[in-house]
Amino acid sequence: MSTNNASDTVELKAKDYKSGLKPVWCPGCGDFGVLNAVTRALANLQIQPHKVAAVSGIGCSSRLPGYLNTYGFNAVHGRALPIASGVKLANGDTTVLAVGGDGDGISIGGGHFSHAARRNIDMTYILMDNRIYGLTKGQGSPTTELGVTTKTTAYGSFEAPLNPAMLAIAYEASFVARALANDMKHLVRVLEEAIEHRGFSFVQVFSRCVTFRGEDQFMDWKDKVKWLCEEGHDTSNRLEAIRIAEEPTMDKMGILYRDSRPTWCDHYQEVRKRAMQGKVEYAIDDLTDSFRP
Amino acid sequence: MEKKDLTIAMIGSGGDGVVSAGELITSAAALEGLYCFLLKSFGPQIRGGESSSKVRLSPEEIFSHGDLVDVLVVFNWEDFGRFRTEYPLAANAIILSEENDKTSMEDIPIENVESYQMINIPFKKLAVEEAGSPLSKNIVMLGILSQFFNLPVRGLESAIRRRFSKKKESIIESNIGALQIGIDWARKADQNDFPQFQYTSAESKIMLSGNDAIGLGALYAGLDFFAGYPITPSSEIMEMMGRELPRYGGRMVQVEDEIAAIGMVIGASFAGKKAMSATSGPGVSLMSEMIGLAAIAELPIVLVSAMRVGPSTGIPTKTTQGDLQQALYGTHGDAPRVVIAPSDVEDCFDVAVEAFYIAEKYQLPVLIMTDQYLGQRVETIPKECLYEEGDARGFIRRYHRDLPDAEALKDYVRYAPSDNGVSPITHPGVEGGQYQAAGIEHTDNGWPTSELDILERNNEKRFSKFEYIRRELNFSRHYGPDEAEIGIITWGSMKGAVKEAVQEMTKQGKSVSAFIPQVIYPIDHEQVEDFIARNKKILVVETSFTAQFYKYLRSHIDIPIDKIRLHKAPIGMPARVGSIIDKIEEVLSEHE
Repeated sequence: MSTNNASDTVELKAKDYKSGLKPVWCPGCGDFGVLNAVTRALANLQIQPHKVAAVSGIGCSSRLPGYLNTYGFNAVHGRALPIASGVKLANGDTTVLAVGGDGDGISIGGGHFSHAARRNIDMTYILMDNRIYGLTKGQGSPTTELGVTTKTTAYGSFEAPLNPAMLAIAYEASFVARALANDMKHLVRVLEEAIEHRGFSFVQVFSRCVTFRGEDQFMDWKDKVKWLCEEGHDTSNRLEAIRIAEEPTMDKMGILYRDSRPTWCDHYQEVRKRAMQGKVEYAIDDLTDSFRP
Repeated sequence: MEKKDLTIAMIGSGGDGVVSAGELITSAAALEGLYCFLLKSFGPQIRGGESSSKVRLSPEEIFSHGDLVDVLVVFNWEDFGRFRTEYPLAANAIILSEENDKTSMEDIPIENVESYQMINIPFKKLAVEEAGSPLSKNIVMLGILSQFFNLPVRGLESAIRRRFSKKKESIIESNIGALQIGIDWARKADQNDFPQFQYTSAESKIMLSGNDAIGLGALYAGLDFFAGYPITPSSEIMEMMGRELPRYGGRMVQVEDEIAAIGMVIGASFAGKKAMSATSGPGVSLMSEMIGLAAIAELPIVLVSAMRVGPSTGIPTKTTQGDLQQALYGTHGDAPRVVIAPSDVEDCFDVAVEAFYIAEKYQLPVLIMTDQYLGQRVETIPKECLYEEGDARGFIRRYHRDLPDAEALKDYVRYAPSDNGVSPITHPGVEGGQYQAAGIEHTDNGWPTSELDILERNNEKRFSKFEYIRRELNFSRHYGPDEAEIGIITWGSMKGAVKEAVQEMTKQGKSVSAFIPQVIYPIDHEQVEDFIARNKKILVVETSFTAQFYKYLRSHIDIPIDKIRLHKAPIGMPARVGSIIDKIEEVLSEHE
C-alpha cells in the first residue's frame, strides 16, 4: 500500500480523521483507545481521509466508522468483511479498514472470517475483543473465558472460547497481530504495520468493557505482556506463530505472523491477462458473437 | 404432410447424448435462421441417470416450448417413464424407439394417445458396428431425424463441426461420418409418410439462454462487479461472469455464501461500481437481511432470482413463480425495492439493462425475477433484437452515476432531501464526499439517529422514488383487442404461453386480450386499472400454489371479486398453451 499519498501542502493530524460525532461508548471503554490509535496511525501514514473506507457490522465497537472523517459504512451484524471486501475489490485505491467486536466477527460473522483471510484481499481487520456482548447489555460471547458468569451464562460459561489470532493464522491471514487498547504506543505501531501490509491483516485488540466485564478487564496486561518485536520473534515462522498464539496466557503481543504472498488483486491481474487471450480489448459484440451457432 | 411447427423430444440415459443432440438441432436451426426453443430436463443424478431434451422448430416466430411432442426419440423406456408427465404426445406422434430396448409393448408408459406410430431403430447397433463407437448413437439418430423429418442437414453438419472444433480432426470426421450413417440408413428405410418440416432458410440467429441474455445485458449495461454462490438454476450467469467479466474490466468473486455475495455487491456499489449477484429463492432467503440494508443505505444493487420449486430445497431443477412474495416483501421493515420480470430470452437482455438503469438512477435494490424455464431454456433470436451495431435500441437506456460537482461537494449531504427522493451520491476516493452509509436509521449526513420524526421523513423520502419509477418505467405488453370478453393479466415467463393462447383464441374468433407488466413492483396501477376497465372478465394466470401474483394484484388494485378469475398453471413445468386455452373456454362459457 502506498503511504506517501498525502496532499502536497497540508500535513494531516490525528484530529483531521475525526468526524466530530460524539461516541456513544461508556466512559473508560477500551474502544476510545482504538479510535485514537486508528486516527494516529492514519495520520502517521498520511493517508487522506477520502481515500479510506471504514466498514463495520453491529456492536459497540462497530460504531467506530461514524467517528471517523473517512468514508464509513455501519452495516448489519456480522457482515463487515464481505462489504469491506467488495469495497476493496471494486475500488483498489481505497485503504479499507474492517472493524468490529468478537460477537460480530467470530460468532455471527464467523463464516466470513476464514474466506476474507484466505482470499488475502488487501485490507485491515481490527477486532476489538472484550469477550462480551456489550451493545445488547452483557451476554456471553464466543471469546468469553470458561467459568465466567454473564447474563446468558448464569452458571458460568462452559463452551470453549475461541482464539481469534489462532483462527486468523489457521485461516491463512497473511498478517496476524495482537495489541492492547490501553497501550497506545504499541497499538499505533501495530496498526501502521497492518495497514501498510499488502494483504489481509488481522489485528486482535484486547479492549475492555468497563460496564459488563469490569473496570480492570485487561488493565494489568499492559505491564505483564511481552512485545514480540523486542523478543526477536521471526514473524515469517508460521509454526512458531501458532505456538505463541496458542499459549493460554496470551501474554505475547505484537506481530505474530507475516507473509508476503500475492493478494487477490495480484492474482486477478493474471486472471485478466489469461482472459484477454492476447486481445487488447473486448467489445460487447465479441461476446454476442460467441452465441452464434 | 408438411409441417411448419415441429416439436421433437429425446429421452435417454446420461451418455446417450440426448441433451447435446438437442443443442445440435438448435445450432442447426440458428444457422438456418429458424426460430427454436430448447428445453433440457434432468433427473437428480449429477452424471448418468435419465436426461432429456425437447426442441421446437419453426420458420415463424414462436413464443412457447410446444405443448405436445410430434416426434419422440426413446433410447430407453425406463428413462422415459420418469419424464412421461413432461412430454405428452400429440395425436399421430411418431416414436422412434431403440430396437435394443427389450421393454414389452404393454409396459411402455404412454397414455392418452389416440394414435401413434412407433418404429424400432437399431441406434445402438448402427453406432457400434458402423460408426465405430456407442457414443455416436445421438449423432446417428440426428442423421435419421434429418431424413425422416426434413431437418437441415447442412446446419447439422456445421453444428457438429463447431461443437467438436477443439477436438482432433479425426473426431470431427468420425462424427460427420456417424451423421452420414444415420442419413444412409434412413434413406434405405424409405419412410415417406412422416410429416415433413417445411421451412425456408433465413439470416442466421444467435442462440441464447435466459441466463446468457441476462449476463450479456448486464455487461452491456456496464457491470463492474459480480459476487455469487453457485445455485441451480442461475449458476450459468456466475460462470459467464467468471469467464467474461475480466475481459470487460470487471471482477467476479465466488464467495462463501449468498450473504457474502450480497455483502460484497453492496460494498462494491458503495465503492461506486455497478454490481450484481444472481441466485435463486434459497439464496434470496439468505440475502434478505441485506436487501433491507441496500434499501436504507440507498445503494444501487441488482439481484437475479431464477425461481425453482420450493419451499426449502424443494425441486431445484423445476420451474415455478412461487418466489414472487419473497421478492416483493422479503426482509424486515419497510424496505423499498423494485421487482422486474423479463418475459422471454430477448427480454432478459433488455431487463438486465433496465435493472441497472433503475438501480443506479434511483439508488435502491432491483430484483430481476426469472425462473428455471426462462433461465435455462435456449431460444434462437435475431442479434438485432438485442442491440444494433453496439448501440442501444430506442428504449434501452444505460445509466451512469453522476458525482456531485465541486460546488455541491463543499457542503455535501449524502441523504439530502429532493423531489424524487434521490440524493447525490459519492464514493471512496472522492475528496469532500465522505459520508457514512448505514443500516441504522440516520440523519441526512448518515449519522445514527433514533428520532421518530426523522424516521418518518426518511420513509417518505425512500418511498417517494416509487411514484417516479412507476411513471418512468411502465413498459408493458398488450396482446389482443383493446376491449375483450376476457383480459388476461400475467407476469414473467408465463407470457409466451399466454401470448400463443391469445393468438389461438383470436384465430378462433374469440375475444381475449392480455396484459403483461414488466416492472411488477411498483406496479403501474393506472395501466392495470385501465386494462381491468376495458375487459369484461379478468383472468390472472400464474404458477404458484398460493396464487401470489393474484393476491398481490388484489392487494394493490381494486378489482371487483365477481370479475376476476384465477388460473394456476401446474407448478414445476413450463406453462402450456392448451391449459390456458381450456381455462379461457371455461370462463367464456360462464357468459353463455
